[in-house]
Amino acid sequence: MKKLIFVIFLITIFLASSVAMAADKIEVQFWHAMGGWRIELLQEMANDFMALHPDINVDVQYTGSYGDTINKLNVAIQSDVAPHVVQGYDIATQMLIDGEVAVPMQDLIDADPDFDIGTFMPQVLNYYRVNGKLYCMPFNSSNAVMFYNKSLFEKAGLDPNKPPKTYAELYEYSKKLTTKDDKGNVEQAGVCWNLHCWFFEQFMAGQNAGLVDNDNGRTARPTKAIFNSEEGLKVFNMWNDLSKEGYMINTKVHDWTGSRNLFISQKVAMLITSTSDVALMVKSAKENNFELGSAFLPVPADAESGGTVIGGGSLWMVAGKPEAETKAAWEFVKFMAQSAQQIKWHTGTGYFPVRKDAVEDLLAQGYYSESPHNLTTIMQLLLSTQNYNSSGATIGAFAEVRNAVESNVQKMLNGDLTPEEALAAAEKECTQAIRDYEGL
Amino acid sequence: MKISTKKKSDIIFTEIILIIMSFIFVLPLILALTMSLQPAQSVFSFPPKFFPTGFHWQNYLVAFRTVPFGRLLLNSTIVAIMVTIGKLITGTLAGYAFANFKFFGKNFGFSFLFATLFLPAELIMIVPLFSIMAKFGWVNTYWALTIPFMASATNTFILRQHFLMIPKELEDSAKIDGAGPMAYFIKILLPLSKSMIGGVSIINFIYAWNFYLWPLIITMEDRMKTVQVGVKMLIDAEGASNWGVIMAGTVSAVIPTLIVFFILQPLFVKSLTRSGIKG
Amino acid sequence: MKKWTPYLLLVPTFIIIVLFIYIPAGFSLNTSLYRVLPFGRGMQFIGIRNFTRLFTNADYIYSVKFTIVYVVITVSITILLSFLIATQLIKKVPGVRLFRTLIFAPYAVSPAIAGALWTFMLNPVVGHISYFFQRTFGIQVEWLTSKPHAFYAIVFASVWKILPFDMIFYIASIQNVPGEMLESARIEGAGVMQRTWKIIFPLVSPITFYLVIMNIVTTMFSSFAIIDVMTKGGPGQFTTNMIYRMYLDGFYFQKQGVASAQSIILIAVMIVVTLIYFKFGEQHVHYQ
Repeated sequence: MKKLIFVIFLITIFLASSVAMAADKIEVQFWHAMGGWRIELLQEMANDFMALHPDINVDVQYTGSYGDTINKLNVAIQSDVAPHVVQGYDIATQMLIDGEVAVPMQDLIDADPDFDIGTFMPQVLNYYRVNGKLYCMPFNSSNAVMFYNKSLFEKAGLDPNKPPKTYAELYEYSKKLTTKDDKGNVEQAGVCWNLHCWFFEQFMAGQNAGLVDNDNGRTARPTKAIFNSEEGLKVFNMWNDLSKEGYMINTKVHDWTGSRNLFISQKVAMLITSTSDVALMVKSAKENNFELGSAFLPVPADAESGGTVIGGGSLWMVAGKPEAETKAAWEFVKFMAQSAQQIKWHTGTGYFPVRKDAVEDLLAQGYYSESPHNLTTIMQLLLSTQNYNSSGATIGAFAEVRNAVESNVQKMLNGDLTPEEALAAAEKECTQAIRDYEGL
Repeated sequence: MKISTKKKSDIIFTEIILIIMSFIFVLPLILALTMSLQPAQSVFSFPPKFFPTGFHWQNYLVAFRTVPFGRLLLNSTIVAIMVTIGKLITGTLAGYAFANFKFFGKNFGFSFLFATLFLPAELIMIVPLFSIMAKFGWVNTYWALTIPFMASATNTFILRQHFLMIPKELEDSAKIDGAGPMAYFIKILLPLSKSMIGGVSIINFIYAWNFYLWPLIITMEDRMKTVQVGVKMLIDAEGASNWGVIMAGTVSAVIPTLIVFFILQPLFVKSLTRSGIKG
Repeated sequence: MKKWTPYLLLVPTFIIIVLFIYIPAGFSLNTSLYRVLPFGRGMQFIGIRNFTRLFTNADYIYSVKFTIVYVVITVSITILLSFLIATQLIKKVPGVRLFRTLIFAPYAVSPAIAGALWTFMLNPVVGHISYFFQRTFGIQVEWLTSKPHAFYAIVFASVWKILPFDMIFYIASIQNVPGEMLESARIEGAGVMQRTWKIIFPLVSPITFYLVIMNIVTTMFSSFAIIDVMTKGGPGQFTTNMIYRMYLDGFYFQKQGVASAQSIILIAVMIVVTLIYFKFGEQHVHYQ
């Protein structure tokens, strides 16, 4: 009898401990803003990770758009239910830093001898480094690129292999590509990009011009906007001139779909959009029987050589979690940053692979020869001059800055303000927003 | 009164107006349906399509695969039903109190409740309400999705209005028969209000069905989300989304509400006739 | 026991509104006196500075004016149009039940989705409505990006969304108008228009009274979703009303203190409007 009890006792202990071990998985919560088919892709990647790390359970959750995600994070942090890893978008960078929300990636990288940040592309790192410190892990980065309709070029008598490189050429080409009906309505326009401050930022970076002082906010906190400059005016004038004559179609604010729609329906011959659209454009061109071309963004003929600014998002690790969970989360972040995952992510979505070795692998696999438009986008990134202007601005009040610029651009396009007035008003509003944020 | 239309021209005139109005009102939904049946590459075309040229039902499959729509529809149904029931309970009780009783503080209480109409709920309550939910341990639960919304000024007023029209004699004779106020409420008042309750239910159900922001913030797992969040999940803000799939999701999210309306419609229309919200 | 009955009946309602509405609202509104740092890192007391900044901000003043115009126009159109449609929907014509369902459809769609659908149709070049306008009238309109068309688009979408709710109530109440009154009016030679406006409309004024205030509240509070999807408050803040500004400040710019100050002003405005409305409106309502 005693032996039986003892055996039962042992079995119970054994079962209890195996149950406890099974329940001993470390929970890592990951919030992201990727919708559509990307949800499945991220889940797949998380599953791959969990297969390699059976002791960690990653809970992947879609938390709305980039803006929604930040709001949810805001609420969660104040009630101590924040996730471990969250995808933040580019313009929230300074705000997240100021909120002291995250464990700076730099700290984790420094403590981990296995991880070589040197394999990452400097263009991407420079965006997310503030004061020399990397705060988050680059994950889904994009640029702006220009697609154009070679078939429509030919019809208009333009050389399909010579896309416009300067603002002047952009204007001339657009003029030739615009057709109107007898009532003066535009039937086909030259160019389009959706009304988004991001494009303004790209056009400025392309001329090596900055948005705010203190080296675009990178060497010290910004105190004012400085884009009411010669370069800024060139952008606004270019935008205004194209729109005045109907050579450019303007969409409503942030209407990515609308602008894509216009290009795919061949209502505009040139489209400036995100590099993550490559796959869609390739498919659509085939569907709609036109030949697709891609090119770098135009710059003014006399501009200083500049670069392009990274857009998209990155992974942030939230501070204040128990050490075991933080370590597990770090493993997950490292995994997502590996070359294999970056290649999977890139080919599945169109965001850049953020590491040099991933690009090398893709090159070796013949990927770029099969995919000339992806080559355009990566080349534009790699050839971008690296300085504070192309690294993008770091502004706590970036959301408000973008809103001010977009609002004044709209006023300009509606004829309420001249380009000079719009630019000056925008700069003034942005400076006010910055001062508010900084508490000046 | 039902206006009897004897003249043929009257009937035709009315029909034409109704057809035009219906068309305008249901237009966007027709578009959604059309887009949901197009494959990705032909969703956008010029000239713009209005009626489907194909029957690409695969969009629905993709929508249901990308997002656990089945589960989300279930969640939304549970939430909508719970909120509706909750609102009906609190609304009938409170309406009864304001309609049939005299008590100290009645006017103040009424205004206090009425004032909640002025608070733009979703916009100013999110952060502190979330903290309260966290303190109760209700984050990511059905409780959080439903209980904060179970009281309603609108419901109370509509029901109060209705109760005011019930003749006082009924209440008096109930008292004579020895029935207490709750017995009167349950055995007489409520049964007389069946159609009004049916009507108010539609409004409550649809209101709860359309929640987006709060479920997005308070749920922490994909499987607790509601259907409006699910539709948003199909949209990728910057990346190119498949609008056919998004519309398939949209249609799936809208159909249940239309079904509820169609079923409960006769109740609703008849009910307001008796509420005294009339001419 | 009987004395406590009404209070007991009110307990569920009041617990919920105090706990889940008034307390959170109180906390939120309190932040209007502070400058709230990102992610709640801290709050700095700044007294009424948020308010003074708002009152001296030209854009904010504009949004107040715009809100008034927007609400007045939207509510007026909604009331009148829903009344007229209701007069048709009570007739015994074939398919009336189907028509009612179709016209009700907008109410069942969430504002965000509705806005998205209208945006597609109003795309200046490839949108369905634009295409229709171009083929029929030969004009090309930038619906969502130009003044004043953006305003029309927003009003149209708002009316579209709210009208079904009003229509239902009107259908029911018009059915209560005594048929004899109309018959005798008709015999005395009153035309359709006179009968409609001089008899039916005044007789349903109690419901109109109720619907107007409901519409004002709905228009105010749910318009931000429609505006966000269709025009983002543009072009150049043209269609930014008070509620959209609040939404921008609170949710996009993360300026909680400023947003709370705006909500207080908004609530105050609503209360004033309601008080005036009740005083003024009561005189114009005909009870039988």
